[in-house]
Amino acid sequence: MYSRFAYQATHIIILLLISLQIMAAPPRHVVENPNIKMVVIPRTAEQMAAFYEGREFPAKAIDATRDACFFTIGIHNKTQNILWLNTDNWSITTKTGSMSLLSREHWIQRWKKLNLQQRFQSTFRWTLLPNTLDFQVDEREGGNITLPRTNTPFTLTARFATGQDKNGEPINITFKDLRCAEDTPQ
Amino acid sequence: MKKILIFLLFFSVSLSVMADAPKGIIKVSPRIAPPLSLMNMDGEQFTLSTNKQRWHFVHFWASWCGPCRREMPTIQRLINGMEKDNIGFVIVNTAESEDVIFSFLGGVAPDINTLLDTDGLATELWKPRGLPSTYLVDPDGQIQYVVIGGQDWHKSQYQDFLRQLSTRNK
Repeated sequence: MYSRFAYQATHIIILLLISLQIMAAPPRHVVENPNIKMVVIPRTAEQMAAFYEGREFPAKAIDATRDACFFTIGIHNKTQNILWLNTDNWSITTKTGSMSLLSREHWIQRWKKLNLQQRFQSTFRWTLLPNTLDFQVDEREGGNITLPRTNTPFTLTARFATGQDKNGEPINITFKDLRCAEDTPQ
Repeated sequence: MKKILIFLLFFSVSLSVMADAPKGIIKVSPRIAPPLSLMNMDGEQFTLSTNKQRWHFVHFWASWCGPCRREMPTIQRLINGMEKDNIGFVIVNTAESEDVIFSFLGGVAPDINTLLDTDGLATELWKPRGLPSTYLVDPDGQIQYVVIGGQDWHKSQYQDFLRQLSTRNK
């Protein structure tokens, strides 16, 4: 009798934990077609703080990351040729205008002002999506993009050139109604 | 009969030399490998340019990168399986502290002795596409192949390919 109760209780606890995990998981925005798969995952300030704390970043640097909105981007080139990433060809638009991604240069200057050790600057750079990359056939790469923290929903349009000499049919991917991820109030 | 055998032998050797690289390994226009001179976890200095007698498998990684974590045990198995082959394995950690590296490798690949790119500047010179990144450098110090993303290095096709390379000059 007791073991049957324990069995049922264990099931309920497992289901509860799974539900909580699903609720806590950040939303994933995915666009996939025969040529490309692109994933956008909004990251909360706490998620990013936890990540960089785990890499031993000093508090001043972690505070600086809280001013920005982070999205993890994953890109898979499914074409049979080169897919050209150049984030200069991406646009972010809101109902009232446009926004720009925070550039690598922005972060370099920010870290300089904070006298952040070189190793942390290096790690931070590696966690960012490259500005440009020639994705080879079947290559998957990813990284974070950052923009100034905002409450406004926006549309991200990512444009990719294709083909050896960038003369192939361009690929445009649009993610509508993206929002900076907010931490759940405690 | 002897001539036929010699021809067949030559033909099979040629075929094996020309075998395509396995998935993920891409032949590139040869270019001189950037400088690489770093300490390993035992405090020993390694300099790539003074190790020119053989091919080198140069791998950049960090413990925070998911594919690196998945790939590292397969690299250890690859190294263990190629102890007798003439190829050098150069594993470079990018900008992490020794504590982080020790605790990570101790759990997944305790036999690997990584070089410590403490400030990340050596990695910057090599300009990897991302992490993990692997380069195959010939005995003349030229990058001949780059490897895209993480691979199952312990699989026979990768070992066979590297074994072939280790017998070639270029």
